[in-house]
Amino acid sequence: MSTAQLDRVAPVPGPVADPAPGGLLWRVRALRHTSPGRLQLLLTALLVFGVLTGLVAGLTAASARAGTDDLGDRAQPLLVEAETIYSALADADTTAAQAFLAGGLEPAELTRRYEGDLDRATTALMSAARRTPPEGPAAEAIRALSSGIPRYAALVASARANNRQGLPVGASYLSTASQLSRDSLQPQAQVLFRSARDEVDEGYGGARSSWWSALLVILLVALLGTLLVTQVHLSRSTRRTFNVPLLVATAVTLALTLTTAVVLAGQRSHLTDAARDGSAPVALLAEARIYALRERGDDALTLVARQGPPEPGKDPYEVNSRELTRRLDQAGRGAAGPARTAVESAARNRRDWENAHKRIRALDESGRYDEAVKLAVGEPTTRTFTALTGDLGRALEDRKAAFTREIDAAGRGLGLLTVLGPLLALAVCALAATGLRARLEEYR
Amino acid sequence: MRARAATAVAVLLVSLAGGCSGDSSRPRAGASAAPSAPPATSGPGAPADTSCKPRASLRPAGPLPKPGAMPAGTYMRTIQDRGRLILGTSQDTLLFSSRNPFTGAIEGFDVDMGRQIAAAIFGDPDKIQIRVIGYDDRVEAVDAAEPVDLVADTMTANCDRWGDVDFSTIYYDAGQKVLVSSTSDARGIGDLGGRKVCAAQGSTSYDNIAAAASRPVPVARAGFADCLVAFQQNEVDAISTDDTILVGLAAQDPYAKVVGPRMSQEPYGMAISQKHHEFTRFVNAVLERNRANGTWKKTYERWLGDLGPAPRPPAAQYRD
Repeated sequence: MSTAQLDRVAPVPGPVADPAPGGLLWRVRALRHTSPGRLQLLLTALLVFGVLTGLVAGLTAASARAGTDDLGDRAQPLLVEAETIYSALADADTTAAQAFLAGGLEPAELTRRYEGDLDRATTALMSAARRTPPEGPAAEAIRALSSGIPRYAALVASARANNRQGLPVGASYLSTASQLSRDSLQPQAQVLFRSARDEVDEGYGGARSSWWSALLVILLVALLGTLLVTQVHLSRSTRRTFNVPLLVATAVTLALTLTTAVVLAGQRSHLTDAARDGSAPVALLAEARIYALRERGDDALTLVARQGPPEPGKDPYEVNSRELTRRLDQAGRGAAGPARTAVESAARNRRDWENAHKRIRALDESGRYDEAVKLAVGEPTTRTFTALTGDLGRALEDRKAAFTREIDAAGRGLGLLTVLGPLLALAVCALAATGLRARLEEYR
Repeated sequence: MRARAATAVAVLLVSLAGGCSGDSSRPRAGASAAPSAPPATSGPGAPADTSCKPRASLRPAGPLPKPGAMPAGTYMRTIQDRGRLILGTSQDTLLFSSRNPFTGAIEGFDVDMGRQIAAAIFGDPDKIQIRVIGYDDRVEAVDAAEPVDLVADTMTANCDRWGDVDFSTIYYDAGQKVLVSSTSDARGIGDLGGRKVCAAQGSTSYDNIAAAASRPVPVARAGFADCLVAFQQNEVDAISTDDTILVGLAAQDPYAKVVGPRMSQEPYGMAISQKHHEFTRFVNAVLERNRANGTWKKTYERWLGDLGPAPRPPAAQYRD
């Protein structure tokens, strides 16, 4: 029987009632009643399952690999870039406010810091644009940021130019810029960050390729089952107990099953580790850094506005502070190694910064505005705060490295499976054909 | 900046003295801003409600107590015990209360009014805490949960506000005008029909723009310096408010000029809570003394000297 004929044979004949004699289904049914017919049916099933297994094994491995690569090369870097944009904008806003608070000529260090922030934001924005599909909320956020950041920079530049000439309208330019940053740019960066975080979550789903894996397991079981049934049938209907090619085919199938299980289980375990030790703490620490920067920004802007104590319950500082505490606690609980040390150090610096903030508020609220400003922009407070963001940055880098490590490990073996899966399945087909053709020829 | 301020002032003077005679930047000799002279209210807009006599305040009760010895039970004593006077003002009104970008300090005519009250209470004008308040919070600020003692913030004493706060006697007379681009042909609010005209939210200027017969489009911003930002970004065509504020804005932009006759009278008073009339009487006594001893004149010359020689201070009027 040629394969051309085999292909015409439907692998799973449905329960069709009384097919007309002479039709294809009638002939397939008729096959069951003869010994060579049964063998032909079994061979067909083996070949079909073998080919499908090879195909699905290749596709599963390819899909898992594509998913893993997308996660590692696109989704996770996008998350990091979104965080960079967000935190750079928040830091630029805070820095500009502090330079303003300092009064007189802007301190050169603050100017450099502001320029660095803007550079980081625009660089990250350009590379995020490459990683974002052209439609959807993330793309809209990128478009809004691309047009908003130059506008923001222009407003800050006007503020500086006016300040240098001693014109008070500079302050209004600065507050317009700050408003643009807080009401429009930072929320857009947040949209980008959230959509990147969702994409990472989806990326894990894509990398796991659960549907493909489930289908592959079903096919492997079916193939193994058919092999066993065929061998049992053969040993009953012939004098030979073992059919060597079919035995080898069974062994090859088992080897394929084992390889698939090892590779996919390994991939899943590394993905789980990447999510637990990489993505989750990265998102958490990134948020913590953003909240910390906003805290300092709120502290500075309260002084800039000179509007006295914020209404109780409406203080943006308090809201930020709660969120930051929650994230630091969470990050501290899950962390180990260098990240843990960094988070613990961050928590200590946070306490110092909180104390400084309380002293600043106390000074301002008791009418000692100048001293409050001095403390807020002064060297010790800046050092404490920079130590806090530095700790968070270190923990973030450590977790990013952990993610890259796990994702690289997760991708390992998938390439091999993409090639090996179809090859082994083809070998099974060839062996099954060899093993059964000898028996079929006996009926000629 | 000084030179530019002078130019802008010159523009104001010309428009004041010569009415609509154009926008030449050459000041006329002897022209005076004369804020206490009754301004010509030839502009459009509804006449202000003066049925409550908004210029009249509470009469001082006897001579001023010595600084640092405020009578027990008075609000001045509360302030003295606190150790500082809390003044509500803005930080973006050049010449009246604005932040000096070089020093970071808030200074101007309004701030000096507050400092003189602090000096009368403590003997030290520096015992003052400045709290910046929004234009639309000026009435509420004196009775808020964290109240200010005094609002001196280019605030017009009018009947509507007298319902909620006490005003001191008038310490400055302003009138509303228009600031336009130096290339504009507009000579007043009458030429700005359908155009966007900016004013601070919650200011009487904003209401006057909305009420103008030429039907300009009023645009609100948080403060007048924010209006200047909008003006420089071409978001609005003009700014309209008290001439005093406009002079401060024009001084910061060589491409801006102040035009038009005074559309309204804006007598400035300091707002004080109605819970303690004795403090209003005290403030009026300080104002009375400073009008007489030349302090008012010196303050005027310090901040508004570019407008010309100091006029006579607005005469105090009392309602009791």
